[in-house]
Amino acid sequence: MTILVLLLCILGFALFGLASEGHHQRWLGRFPTARRKKRMRAAGWGALVGALPLAWAVAGGIVGPILWTGATMLGAAIVFLFLNLVPGRRQDPRRGHR
Amino acid sequence: MNTMDTNTRGFRQSQAFLHTWSGLLLGWILFLVFVAGTIAFWREGMNRWMRPELARVEQPMQVLAGAQRFLQSKAPDAKSWFITMPSARTPGAQLFWQPQVKKGEPRRRGGRRDNQALIGADGAPAHARETRGGEFFYRFHFDLHYMPVIWARWLVGFATMMMLVAILSGLVTHKKIFRDFFTLRRSKGQRSWLDGHNATAVLALPFHLMITYTGLVTLMAMLMPWAVVANYSDEARIFDALFPQAQAVERTGRAAPLADLRIVVQDAQRRFGAPAGFIEVSDPGDAAARITVSQSSASMLSSRTPRLTYDGVSGRLVWRSPAPGGAAVTAGAMIGLHAGRFADDGLRWIYFLCGVAGSAMVASGLVLWTVKRREKLPDPARPYFGFRVVERLNVAVIAGFPLGIACLLWANRLLPAGMRGRAEWEVHALFIAWAAAGLVALACRPKAAWPALFGITGALLAAIPVYNVAATERGLPAWLAAGDWMLAAIDLALAAFGLFAGTIAVRVARFRPELRKSRARRVVPAPATPILEPAE
Repeated sequence: MTILVLLLCILGFALFGLASEGHHQRWLGRFPTARRKKRMRAAGWGALVGALPLAWAVAGGIVGPILWTGATMLGAAIVFLFLNLVPGRRQDPRRGHR
Repeated sequence: MNTMDTNTRGFRQSQAFLHTWSGLLLGWILFLVFVAGTIAFWREGMNRWMRPELARVEQPMQVLAGAQRFLQSKAPDAKSWFITMPSARTPGAQLFWQPQVKKGEPRRRGGRRDNQALIGADGAPAHARETRGGEFFYRFHFDLHYMPVIWARWLVGFATMMMLVAILSGLVTHKKIFRDFFTLRRSKGQRSWLDGHNATAVLALPFHLMITYTGLVTLMAMLMPWAVVANYSDEARIFDALFPQAQAVERTGRAAPLADLRIVVQDAQRRFGAPAGFIEVSDPGDAAARITVSQSSASMLSSRTPRLTYDGVSGRLVWRSPAPGGAAVTAGAMIGLHAGRFADDGLRWIYFLCGVAGSAMVASGLVLWTVKRREKLPDPARPYFGFRVVERLNVAVIAGFPLGIACLLWANRLLPAGMRGRAEWEVHALFIAWAAAGLVALACRPKAAWPALFGITGALLAAIPVYNVAATERGLPAWLAAGDWMLAAIDLALAAFGLFAGTIAVRVARFRPELRKSRARRVVPAPATPILEPAE
């Protein structure tokens, strides 16, 4: 169940990260429309907020929020490292090779 | 963005100034505090790892019975006994006792060394190497070393306040950290350093704010004593209010056998609904003996855990600690949040990784100071004095301290078991190695010193797990086979950090700064000396 909290946080931050122009282009091959960005960010928030009651249920009212905070940090770090260090699907035509 | 130009007195400029200088001047101490504190999250693990000859505790109650047997024969008429409750996370039952104060004899301090023992997993006194284990990192985190504790705490307390200043002013200074949340520009010189600094700061920002603020709370009675002074005329009363105790009883002088500690502890654990952490016995063997059991701090957030006091002869419950007040709960919860003792393995790993991020944040911030100024040097071949001081102190601290830690771990493995003052020499090894590294940093060009020191650190760290397998009875395969993940994880982490330090060394050694064409319009010549820091 703790893993599920972390997975939701990773999902949330992955949506945030992919909603940024550079990463969206690099991973999905095209620039996101404004509407698409908005939707991805909303879904990201949904995943993050949804992880909180789950963490609460897993670890209780005291440790739960701490676990949630920790999972958001770890999720953000995992997404950050993945998006930046793993070679993307498409090369960025503007910035040349990476 | 971050100019020292005092003509532009905007809010952001003033904050940038504050961020730069609060970070730089206390940054070296903060790096030490961060690194030691990060290791101290594995304090219990290091306590076991640094005594590899001891088997893991499987039967805590059997060890407790052994502790009672040992104390009854060794210190039957002591004033008090203190026993840390053994568990799979401790090397055994750590004991110490206070002898009776004889009339007319001045109270001696520091006699603790002769009055302590360790009971191993089999219930017999353990003959383990003398070491301070993980306790060293825990104490160094706020007491430093070789200096009076009170100075060290003021120094660390002041550095922590500056840390809070640096974090808050940093949020203003690095204004794009949230917009550029996922950005890491690689191999781009100063931009990469900035992105790395921002990433380690912003990804673990909740942790950084929490750990700095709660760190101040742990020192609050020293840093801000006025609330206590204003409300409590007598120091003993604040102590009673914070740490309530059962009514003291006079020693009777009539001998009476002490109750079985196992039965008392079992009863206490049933009442707590959680494991016991610490046992104190006053006047053992006397009719007035008392046994006080504290709940384990691994079982709840607050560091101020409930306690139960039993009659030492009948084993009857005579006192329970009252529910703490709001202020005491707040302080206890904050200190508990700081120390992370409540955290299970998963959460402990998050604490540890956040600590690693914090150490990297401080280190990259220190390096960034030189990276930013290097481009503006009038003559890069001959930087001004202050620049050279910062540059070399960075090498001495950021590369030197980890080298010292690696040497402490090797001293723990190599110093002969029977050596006098062995535990102290382990610690001396850290500081001797660090001093040598400091000399190298001052004497050699940073371009050579960075890879040399990181290279040695990497080799030393990575070789420890190999040594454990080759030269001791235990080691990674044995620990994995026994399911002892605590010790296996430490060896794996050492190997990983060794690899990481080695990678840094190689990258710095191979790094050749490119002459940037975009800067060519500047009158300043392109750097003739190489940029000395690793590329990322």
